[in-house]
Amino acid sequence: MVERWRLLDTGLNSAYYNMALDEAIAVARSRGIVPNTLRFFRWEPSAVSIGYFQSMNEEVDVEACRRLGIDYVRRRTGGGAVYHDRDGELTYSIAVDEDDPLVSKDFQKTYETLCSGIVHGLRVLGIPAEFKPINDIVVGGKKISGNAATRALKVVHQHGTVLRQVNPKLMFTVLKVPSEKIRDKMVKSVEERVTSVEWFLKRKVGFQELKEALKRGFEEAFKIELVPGEVTGFEEELAEKLRREKYSTAGWNFRR
Amino acid sequence: MGKAEYKVVGGKLVKAQVERKDDRILRVKITGDFFIHPEEFLEELEEALAGKLLDESILKGFIRSLAEGRGAVLLGVSPEDLAKCIVMAGEGDG
Repeated sequence: MVERWRLLDTGLNSAYYNMALDEAIAVARSRGIVPNTLRFFRWEPSAVSIGYFQSMNEEVDVEACRRLGIDYVRRRTGGGAVYHDRDGELTYSIAVDEDDPLVSKDFQKTYETLCSGIVHGLRVLGIPAEFKPINDIVVGGKKISGNAATRALKVVHQHGTVLRQVNPKLMFTVLKVPSEKIRDKMVKSVEERVTSVEWFLKRKVGFQELKEALKRGFEEAFKIELVPGEVTGFEEELAEKLRREKYSTAGWNFRR
Repeated sequence: MGKAEYKVVGGKLVKAQVERKDDRILRVKITGDFFIHPEEFLEELEEALAGKLLDESILKGFIRSLAEGRGAVLLGVSPEDLAKCIVMAGEGDG
């Protein structure tokens, strides 16, 4: 029998709630309260997230964010700073038991396996996406998805982006680009390094169409059935607590 | 306070801030877009680095053995990269 996973679509939420709910789902999974879960979500207002090991003040123009009404939050996962556009990006997260056959002891291998759902989903749309180590998905060498994962309490939690549209101008208004990176990649403009679903396909692709394709991609790649479900009361309460006491606090967001 | 940035070949960007006293680390802060599992290991490492000699080879060995002892996994950055960046930052202090 095909394993059934829960599918959540939590729509638009603040960065603080989004990150809090991701952690709450991972905790609920670790306690066996919920099955393995795939969640789709978006950001309202648009937001910047930084990796666990990054410095908020070094990566993000916090003043510009405040001026533009853009949230800024630290993730519980490593990786780089990301601008999450309300209308340009679909975000997903996975909470899967560490003992699941999809999970390897090798972190790099697990990225590739879990990213295969996105890769398949993009191919459903006709986009020849490929996994690129360490944690990217690219099309013709251009990045279309970034991913980050952590493990705690015997659960792997991975989240990542899928770019539907790109807004490089706003991206660089809120993100500070490290000098080394500028030097390294000066020759290449953002348009040459990053692509999006709509840019590649040269047509409009709504969030609904994108989510349906990704759902199919995950089902095929993971050999699972995704069953639409709800956020449990436990997750809702824990997410609210984590939002209030962790992800919306300066203590967490500016800790590095 | 000395600062340095180091782009890992085929990897991530590491940044270090180092306060030194003579040839030793007084305080170090490491940031970047790499992955370390468990994440808390970095804070433990920063504390453990206080008092260590600013020598790339010594630091590399120390970071490697501490990570191995804790079962910590580094992705996109190696003990060598961290050691290199810390020494670069240390050279910039004072």
